[in-house]
Amino acid sequence: MAFSAPAAYLTHQQKVLWFYKRALSHLESWDKYRYYAWLMRARFEEHKNEKDMTKAIQLLREAEEDFWYRQHPQPYIFSDSPGGTSYERYECYKVSENCLDTWHPSQKAMYPDYFAKREKGKKLRGETLPPARKEGDLPPLWWHIVIRPQERQCRETERPHLSCLQVKYITEHTLALIKKISE
Amino acid sequence: MHSSLILMTLIPLLAPITITLINPHKNSLYPHYVKLAIIYALTISILSTTIFIFTGQESMISNWHWMTIQTIKLSMSFKLDFFSMMFTPVALFVTWSIVEFSMWYMSSDPNINQFLKYLLIFLITMLILITANNLFQLFIGWEGMGIMSFLLISWWHGRTDANTAALQAILYNRIGDIGFILAMAWFFLYSNSWDFQQMFILDSTSNSFPLMSLLLAATGKSAQFGLHPWLPSAMEGPTPVSALLHSSTMVVAGVFLIIRFHPLIENNLLTQTLILSLGAITTLFTAICAITQNDLKKIVAFSTSSQLGLMMVTIGINQPHLAFLHICTHAFFKAMLFLSAGSIIHSLNNEQDIRKMGGLFKTLPFTASSLVIGSLALMGTPFLTGFYSKDLIIETANTSYTNAWALTTTLVATSLTAMYSIRIISHTMTGHPRFSTLISINENNPQLMNPINRLALGSIFAGFLISSCIPPTSQPQVTMPHYLKLMALSVTILGLFLAMELSLMTNNMKLSTPVKTFYFSNMLGFYSITTHRINPHSSLATSQNFTSTLLDLFWFEKTMPKLTMQTQISISTTASTQKGLIKLYFLSFFIPPTLALILTI
Repeated sequence: MAFSAPAAYLTHQQKVLWFYKRALSHLESWDKYRYYAWLMRARFEEHKNEKDMTKAIQLLREAEEDFWYRQHPQPYIFSDSPGGTSYERYECYKVSENCLDTWHPSQKAMYPDYFAKREKGKKLRGETLPPARKEGDLPPLWWHIVIRPQERQCRETERPHLSCLQVKYITEHTLALIKKISE
Repeated sequence: MHSSLILMTLIPLLAPITITLINPHKNSLYPHYVKLAIIYALTISILSTTIFIFTGQESMISNWHWMTIQTIKLSMSFKLDFFSMMFTPVALFVTWSIVEFSMWYMSSDPNINQFLKYLLIFLITMLILITANNLFQLFIGWEGMGIMSFLLISWWHGRTDANTAALQAILYNRIGDIGFILAMAWFFLYSNSWDFQQMFILDSTSNSFPLMSLLLAATGKSAQFGLHPWLPSAMEGPTPVSALLHSSTMVVAGVFLIIRFHPLIENNLLTQTLILSLGAITTLFTAICAITQNDLKKIVAFSTSSQLGLMMVTIGINQPHLAFLHICTHAFFKAMLFLSAGSIIHSLNNEQDIRKMGGLFKTLPFTASSLVIGSLALMGTPFLTGFYSKDLIIETANTSYTNAWALTTTLVATSLTAMYSIRIISHTMTGHPRFSTLISINENNPQLMNPINRLALGSIFAGFLISSCIPPTSQPQVTMPHYLKLMALSVTILGLFLAMELSLMTNNMKLSTPVKTFYFSNMLGFYSITTHRINPHSSLATSQNFTSTLLDLFWFEKTMPKLTMQTQISISTTASTQKGLIKLYFLSFFIPPTLALILTI
């Protein structure tokens, strides 16, 4: 099922419905409930079948002005909403997700599935380092990756051009092999 | 003997703080250490207070000489008189209850140890203030309380409003500190001492300047009208902070300072009148603000401010001991009101708006009972704690030679007290529940119930106990007309019935636009909105005029470039002979040779 993108403007129906919802929830700020919600609905129902758009827009405008005039100076805001009493209260206790990297392996072993998935996600995002070239060596650290020689894009018919590091690696490997054979 | 006992009170309080310095690692038993330390300190202080009451012997301990600057000697000295000996156990008792309550309220907080440490440091600074025998030591306690207030209001420092409220508290208190420092400077110059005994002996003329400065200090610290907005904003902090600092202990420091200086104030009628007027304005204004607030903690905060105004009124009618009695009794029921509010708020998942409470009589019976007891004590119901101080204050005001305006204001504020107390009870306890149905409410926790229980007992009996221990300072009023005797009770009952009648009326009334007085009350008199904007607006407007008028208009147009240009044009037009009349120039070029030719022919 295809969902259409929201239009750049609101229809009159949307405006009226949004306004109705706002007005209804604002009744709670005045400590009024069921009966006054029914009265509010009756006011909206009175002009429900208005066909003249000019008049309908005029009615909406007057209603919005009336709402503005009668609004409560301290409207009720939910405690976790912006402007509420406990909004952002626990921000100071939130820690970045990277703190999980500092866990000891014995702690990580308690949640193997979670950490395995986490490592997989990190690899996909490219956050992990490539493995070391030789055993016992350090993996290539960040400056090796940053200052690595740029690989030129080549056509399929052309022979791939070796980078300096690659040449160096091949040379060292060949020399080690020759030495082994000679021994 | 009681003097050494009261000094021993401070030692158990220092132990938990020393523990954190030696062993900074988190300790799950630390809250219990703090509670135990306060219990030990309370036990020792009750002993010493009992000895003091029976012997009636005031003392002053001066044990460490710090320095001597020219002729002034600074030393650590403790004044153990009636005020410090009576208030120390009260402060310790209230703090014990609040620390135990914090162990329930802040149980989910990972830094609860730090929180309790801050409360303990605050308590120590409070005790330093009330036992100080010189202005310098008092100032150390004064500033220490301000710092701890800042740290505790901004406990949840991830919240912008909390940081703003903490800064607001610091700034308003700092304005009051200016008065304190002025007073210190004046006493340094004219009394050559900061010790109370010497200041009181030497100042026989009762100069108004230092007393006005002290009044400014008290206005800042005790949230009197003019410097009051920080107190409702300080409700951003956790409820235990509001209960300890902003109801029972810190906010009464300003009133305590004025009480300490009553030997000077009782000879100065101007200061007394100013204190009376300021107190009367404060008590009425804050009571008007409280009756239309919707935040439970803000209503109790404004109630605190109103009672502080009443304390100032009491000092204004030259009854410092009555004001002190009201400080002690007020600490009990106000702390209990805050703890009850905290119980409700925590049970309803941090819901503080009374429009979303209701029907809590059945769900929180113990909290409801304590809230009702606290409200009745606040209203001055006969033979509860508040009655012994509040009723006496109003009787004394009625029978004293004071201006009728201040008296009327105080009486109106007393009836408004009943109105907002009834409003709290009707909105939170009665009616249908307006909170979410998914909340599970349970108050069956000893760490919640025991503190409120203790404070409830204090709210019922403490007034009788303390008032029977006050030594008679002046001849009490022996007879008075019936209507004056029953004035306090009658205005309270009037306020009660008015509140109930109005609430019944509003349930049946049509929803219409409220009157302008509602907006005045709900927006706190528009005080914060105007004063917090006036200063930045005036400085921004001045700087705008400065840049546009002074810099742009004056320097760029009137003086340098444009003036130079105008001068150049006028000079060049004046001094230049060239008028641009080419035909005339050509003609004039031809005229002399023609003339010469004609003349030679």
